[in-house]
Amino acid sequence: MTLFKQIAILLSLFLLIILGTVLTLNFKSANESISQRLYEDAKNTASSLSLSLGGANGDISMMTTMINANFDSGNYLLISLVDVDDAILYERVLESSYADVPAWFLELITLEAPIASANVSAGWNQVGILHVQSDLSYAYTELYSILKNLLISFSILVIIALGFLNLLLAAVLKPLKEVQKQAEAVIRNEFIIQKHIPSTKEFQDVVLGMNTMVSKVKVMFDIGNKELQQLKELEYIDPATKLKNRKYLIDKFPEYLKIDAVSKDGINMMLALSGITKANEQIGHEEVDALFVNLAKIFTDSVQVYNEAIVARMNGTEFAIFIPNCGEEEAKEIAKNIKSASQNVIEAHKLDIKCTFISIGIFEYNYRQNISKLLSLSDNALTQAKFCNSHIHYERAQNATEVMGKNAWRTIITEALGKDALSFVPYKVVNAGAKKVAHYALSLTLSSGEKRYSYGQFMAPANQLGLSNKVYQNVLNMLFKKTDPKLKNTTCSLRLSYEYLQETQSYHELSLLLKQYGMKLPLRLIIEMPDKFVRKNTKDIQEYKALFEKYKVDMGIYEFIGESQNYQYLQELLPLYIKAEANYFLTQNTQSLSALKLVTDSVGIILIASSVMDKETLEKLEEIDIHTIQGKVSEEITFND
Amino acid sequence: MFRLKITLFFLVLVLQLQGSEPYVDDALLSKIEGKYQLYAKNRFLYLQKTLDEFQNASDLQKLNAVNDFFNNVRYATDAKVYNTSDYWATPWEFLGKDIGDCEDYVISKYFALIYLGIDPKKLFFSYVKSIKFNTAHMVLTYFETPRSEPLVLDNYNLKIFPASQRNDLIPIYNFNGESLYKASANGNGKKVDNDKTHKKWDELKRNMKRQKI
Repeated sequence: MTLFKQIAILLSLFLLIILGTVLTLNFKSANESISQRLYEDAKNTASSLSLSLGGANGDISMMTTMINANFDSGNYLLISLVDVDDAILYERVLESSYADVPAWFLELITLEAPIASANVSAGWNQVGILHVQSDLSYAYTELYSILKNLLISFSILVIIALGFLNLLLAAVLKPLKEVQKQAEAVIRNEFIIQKHIPSTKEFQDVVLGMNTMVSKVKVMFDIGNKELQQLKELEYIDPATKLKNRKYLIDKFPEYLKIDAVSKDGINMMLALSGITKANEQIGHEEVDALFVNLAKIFTDSVQVYNEAIVARMNGTEFAIFIPNCGEEEAKEIAKNIKSASQNVIEAHKLDIKCTFISIGIFEYNYRQNISKLLSLSDNALTQAKFCNSHIHYERAQNATEVMGKNAWRTIITEALGKDALSFVPYKVVNAGAKKVAHYALSLTLSSGEKRYSYGQFMAPANQLGLSNKVYQNVLNMLFKKTDPKLKNTTCSLRLSYEYLQETQSYHELSLLLKQYGMKLPLRLIIEMPDKFVRKNTKDIQEYKALFEKYKVDMGIYEFIGESQNYQYLQELLPLYIKAEANYFLTQNTQSLSALKLVTDSVGIILIASSVMDKETLEKLEEIDIHTIQGKVSEEITFND
Repeated sequence: MFRLKITLFFLVLVLQLQGSEPYVDDALLSKIEGKYQLYAKNRFLYLQKTLDEFQNASDLQKLNAVNDFFNNVRYATDAKVYNTSDYWATPWEFLGKDIGDCEDYVISKYFALIYLGIDPKKLFFSYVKSIKFNTAHMVLTYFETPRSEPLVLDNYNLKIFPASQRNDLIPIYNFNGESLYKASANGNGKKVDNDKTHKKWDELKRNMKRQKI
């Protein structure tokens, strides 16, 4: 319950008790006042009537008439005349009394009409005593009317008082609302500086304290961000040519060498400049450096039509051009153009192209290869190129024998999608330090007849056949509409691919599903998005963020290699975690990792290492303070609960 | 509760007035002396002596003694003594000041007679018209029985006479606070505030209770 509600209830109760007490006291006072009035009326009548009766000189009939006249003209319950021996001389008693009040009121309120007495004498002689008692019906009617008026006026008073109380509390606690908003923002790791400083001393201290704290965290984030940017530049950029370096390329490879890679193959071109030692002697180091810059420009220009292409300087004389989705002919053409343009540049630098020349090894990779094999085969192609006349050598990776043809896969996948034959396989993502499951990463299996295909088996053909988006549609429908009972009350992450997220239709599909089923989803969902998609921080990602916040879905980032120029997007999107290859974390230098942690810790983002396949890697990760892991090892950890 | 207090007060008062205690106790006497000087104290001592003498006398002797004693007090209107048109003084105020009007004589005689053991039901405050002085007047009347002819204790005519011999007075209204109180108390039990029977009587009772001097 909010403080506002608690104070409002307490003050309302207090107010109601006060007003209720005042109402009761008022009513009691009115009750007593009416009783007193009944007595005074009776007393006045008794006094005046007794004097009148004295004038009758003891004539009973005269006195009876006088008593009747009084009784009939007024509101009396009783008028009685008793003689000196207490014998009743005459008595009038009201036979029926009617009070225009509800029965419950008569039962609830007990009124007593006091009897007033006066001596009656005739001349010097005593006649007796006159007793007069007023009728209660008038008193009841009067009292009921007073009660009604009291209730009406008190109700109005209560409404006004409560309204005023509400306004007063809202005004007094307004700064608290702002403090609350700021506190909630801090919980969400958002940096809000409250500009309006409340005048209430306590709130003022809290706001100033929180502003200071938020400012410090923001400064911390900014420092981390700036430091990380500078380190990234040093870590991933070749300072001479401004091309990417070997480390960048190696960190980037996993995105293309994975089972669900969208581009199943492509070209990795290794380029080496020979005769540099002599060139240095001939034209000097500075000129040679200029030559490298010019060559870098040629390399970059030659592949600018390929969005995914990466040009990197591998060492002093070697370069790599990684071009996904590039075929043999295109690659050869690019190589020829590069060679031709390079010769021109070399000549322009007054060097002999027979001594100073470029060799290009072209290696056609596919997604099944690992990084070391790709590099080794690429190097092999380059070596071949150096020794052949054209200085261009093309080499293709050996294609694994496909178990099934494309058509067979198309049939299996299409049928599976139609029959909802996909099912989730949860893999543990664990906090190895706390020995607790952080969440479950959902993978898929596909059933076709009696056969079951793993994600690794069917997703590559699905990508190649352009069926991946349909698979994701199917998976999302399955998750929201037919949630696996085993997943209930768990936290699960579902990874969406870059290609699927780029489709405009995807957002509409997901928002429709969330609108219909989001609130009823029996599990806590984390949607994982690739860093490549997220870091652009476009309108699309902002829409996804708003959508996820609305339906309390968390966001995770995968394939993170920290290649962004600015990490502000992390602060704005506030993902629950960032997943990166274990190797990425292990190859970071201490400064880079510290800066990354400064950035993520300041906004509460968890770092998760994926592809942790052995305990040795886990130990290394724990040494650098990364405890949340995903991979083969996470399935082998013994948990506390 | 209030009824009980009043009953206890009158019980104590009646016991005091009936001779087991002095009519005016020492403490009150000291206060009277303090306020009205030694002469006032002596008047009360003389009253006590008179009352003591007639403690065992007949009702008539008691009436005469008390009537004679108080008729020695000087007469003056309330306007002169109390600066108000009508005031019922306590016996202590009346004898302390040694001056008062007709009601004050009646009151003092009434309580002195009760002290001497006269039944309060026999004593009435009688509102009368004085033909001689053509003025509203009050006398104390004594009824041997409820139906007897009353004896009139007056401060205009210093002697006690039966009512039939007081042609100078026209009776208007007889009042006995105690009988009204008892009548109400013996009524149907619905009386809520029984110290109220007669405004002036009620005020006097309050003054008596707090020993107003």
